[in-house]
Amino acid sequence: MRLPLLLIGLFVALAPAGAEEIASGSSFLSPEMRRQQDDPNRNPAWFWVDQGKELFAQKPATGQACLGCHADPATSLRGAAVRYPQVDGASGKLLNLEGRIEQCRVERQQQPAFGYESAELLSLTTYLASLSRGQPMSVRTDGPAQAYYEAGKAFYERRQGQLNLSCKQCHDGLVGQKLRGDTISYGAGTGYPAYRLEWNSVGSLHRRLRACSLGVRASQFDYGSPEYLALELYLAGRAKGLPGETPAMRR
Amino acid sequence: MSFPISPRSKRSEAPSRRDVVALAAAGLVLPTLAGPARAETLDDLVRRVTDGVAPAAGGLTLEIPALVENGNSVDVRIAVDSPMTEAAHVRWIHLIAEKNPFPDMARIHLSPRSGRALVATTLRLAQSQTVAAVVAHSDGRYAVATAPVVVTLSACIDGG
Amino acid sequence: MFNARITLPPQAKVGETVEVKVLMRHPMDRGGQSDGKGGTVPRKILNRMTATYAGAEIFRIDMHTGVAANPFVSFSTRAVETGDIVFEWREDGGATYTRTARLTVI
Repeated sequence: MRLPLLLIGLFVALAPAGAEEIASGSSFLSPEMRRQQDDPNRNPAWFWVDQGKELFAQKPATGQACLGCHADPATSLRGAAVRYPQVDGASGKLLNLEGRIEQCRVERQQQPAFGYESAELLSLTTYLASLSRGQPMSVRTDGPAQAYYEAGKAFYERRQGQLNLSCKQCHDGLVGQKLRGDTISYGAGTGYPAYRLEWNSVGSLHRRLRACSLGVRASQFDYGSPEYLALELYLAGRAKGLPGETPAMRR
Repeated sequence: MSFPISPRSKRSEAPSRRDVVALAAAGLVLPTLAGPARAETLDDLVRRVTDGVAPAAGGLTLEIPALVENGNSVDVRIAVDSPMTEAAHVRWIHLIAEKNPFPDMARIHLSPRSGRALVATTLRLAQSQTVAAVVAHSDGRYAVATAPVVVTLSACIDGG
Repeated sequence: MFNARITLPPQAKVGETVEVKVLMRHPMDRGGQSDGKGGTVPRKILNRMTATYAGAEIFRIDMHTGVAANPFVSFSTRAVETGDIVFEWREDGGATYTRTARLTVI
């Protein structure tokens, strides 16, 4: 009789106050893959970081190189990526890192947008996110961001697709269990853009989300769609405090 | 609303029945492509690279995970017992995947300048199968090591 | 889009055996997959990597479609003299790529 009570007491004592603790995707990798991820001589995603660094310094046909405004990015942009998605002050729209880079490219550099999932945008995003490696995720979920955050949370909790599953059912309720050959993670998304073995390449978080949608046989939304942007904000808010891991490796 | 960003990921490596039939109708298919090694056993595939000689077992280690998370990139490491001198060294190591559409994966050439016969690479495995490493020694001997590998799938098949 | 990351020990003694690690950026297209327009993608892989050092080829790997995308290769060589290890890759279609890495021998 007293043992269950004691266990409940223990559970209450150990449970974090308020928000539930989640772990990043890295903690669901095999030790071998984790070693590969942490070794720049083995993790192919660093090629995308290198390419992004080159592009950042390259002068486009018009306007300045990114480096022209953002001097010493290793310092000046450290911690920038972990504050995205964020609401753009001028337009009131939610922008993720990809969106902000494209905005700079079009409005400041007067160049045609690279396009979501182009090699250039992926490289720049991966490079900028890599500058926040180890920095705690710290998006704003209040103020002007609150409505977007709530929309993302609703998306996360809504049952979808032919399998009639919500993100939450698996990524909160069944974490650590097996789904076919894989282990269900929290879906923290803190390593993206990431090199996924499935893709043989680096891909964005939205590419991963599209694969999730397909997995439950639900509608896939476009890259940069309001649905995925809001979900990205919710995931980032839920992962608050976890370190940025880009460029990560995932299965 | 959706578009594939990686059309290359949409089909498996093995030519489909439809491809093979279509190509055969066009008279384009080599016999080896039409029946991608299904009739050949691992033993046959090994003997093809040793000129029919049955290789000895042992004298090398083939390190490959027994359970692979994704067949797209599989770590393999081969170490051969050899002094790696002018008189006695490993000439090459040949890697075979019994059930890959193209079973010959790689051949690695070494010399006395290698110092030691220890190599590693990353392989692509189409399915669960046995992998073989065949070693050709400078004195004409052959050796082989095999390892069974189970390839699991990722949970959500990527199409987006 | 080819690139390579080559890792050597900072220095080596004469006669010492050192490990050489190479990570390549290449999609290693196996060929035969749909190109999304009703056709198929041709095979395009790095089919060979050679390493030359101190006057001789010290390593060669002939690669087929069973080698992973963005592959990793490691091998050993005996330190002979301070000099460049020259890496050359051959791609389907005839393109070649070259990189060098300096081995300092004390």
